[in-house]
Amino acid sequence: MVRLVDLPPAQAQRYAEVECPDFATRPWVVGPPLARRRVAVVSSAGLVVRGEAPFRGRDPDYRVIPAETGPENLLISHISINFDRTGFQEDRNVVFPIDRLNELAADGEIASVARTHYSFMGAADPLEMEPHARELAGRLKQDDVDAVILPPV
Amino acid sequence: MSALGHYLEEEGIATVAISLIRPQTENTKPPRALWVPFELGRPFGPPDDPAFQRRVILAALRQLVRARGPVVIAEFADDDPRARPDLAWRPPALAPAPAGATAEVLAARLETEIISLRQAHRHWIAQHGRTTVGLSGLSISDCGHYVADWLRGTAPPSPREVFSPPLMLRFALDDIKAYYLEAAASGGGEPSSRQLSDWLWDQTVTGGAIQAMRRVCLTSEDERVKLIAGSFMVPAARVRDRG
Repeated sequence: MVRLVDLPPAQAQRYAEVECPDFATRPWVVGPPLARRRVAVVSSAGLVVRGEAPFRGRDPDYRVIPAETGPENLLISHISINFDRTGFQEDRNVVFPIDRLNELAADGEIASVARTHYSFMGAADPLEMEPHARELAGRLKQDDVDAVILPPV
Repeated sequence: MSALGHYLEEEGIATVAISLIRPQTENTKPPRALWVPFELGRPFGPPDDPAFQRRVILAALRQLVRARGPVVIAEFADDDPRARPDLAWRPPALAPAPAGATAEVLAARLETEIISLRQAHRHWIAQHGRTTVGLSGLSISDCGHYVADWLRGTAPPSPREVFSPPLMLRFALDDIKAYYLEAAASGGGEPSSRQLSDWLWDQTVTGGAIQAMRRVCLTSEDERVKLIAGSFMVPAARVRDRG
């Protein structure tokens, strides 16, 4: 198990006190009921489709994960080695819950699942991620996404 | 993730983050978050437990229709049932690690140990239909050979032009660790991540070899190699001989 309390104290403190830009605004977007939402995953696990360029360091851009990507073709290239990867090895939904989202759509809990999902690498500088995130918002809107779930590792 | 939530929300898209480190989330104030009491690396909880994962993702998505905010930090109450050890689990049998071995001996043993786990790893792939080995683009035996050369102190060139030697070392090590942890879980049961990690770092030749290589690489004159050694070889909680 890799909980915060299992890490050396200095490391745990760094994680807990990670810096985030001091944003001047507090945005809050409202929308329709869940059953009418189209949902995408924007992970920060450093996910990459097998054969495509992995995250090399603190790359601030993102990788594209088509919804139809098979479980055999999804890898983690996050630079941190201080989190568990065995859960993901056994079942990608531990990190990238695409099967669960498809089930929720089939059951009518949500309207639909995005055609494409995305992954950043969570150890990147948030300020350097900003232009990529804003550009990504345009892509999400083109896919009619109005709800994003942001899982870390 | 809090910054991403902020940027996307400013662009007009509603977001909800999963939080694994509550103090971090309280500090960074995303529009909405669901804190989950799971270990790092498992934002949706236990593997192969669709019902549990569904409860987590629904709890997160339901934050999207909360009337009041920002900031919302909700909590998911239930622990991950797979965090408990499986006392019946047994790892693959390996020859014992040699005590006080030289780098040359460790390097040779690392390569033979990787080969000895081949059957267990094939079994894993047959069970799960996949492997997460593959960042380096090398075969696992070539990963072993490359890492062993570093352990011998030869600083080999990268076999792939797209990756510098230190980056190839990092990816080869990531692949070897994934290979071992998958092979370790191939015998059935539901081992916890701690059980699997204990086995890799305390009971395999490769675990000891990576620790030894870390110590060697920390003395490198190449700052990139020192960085890889210091942060990306051995998890912080597993580092021996910290001084």
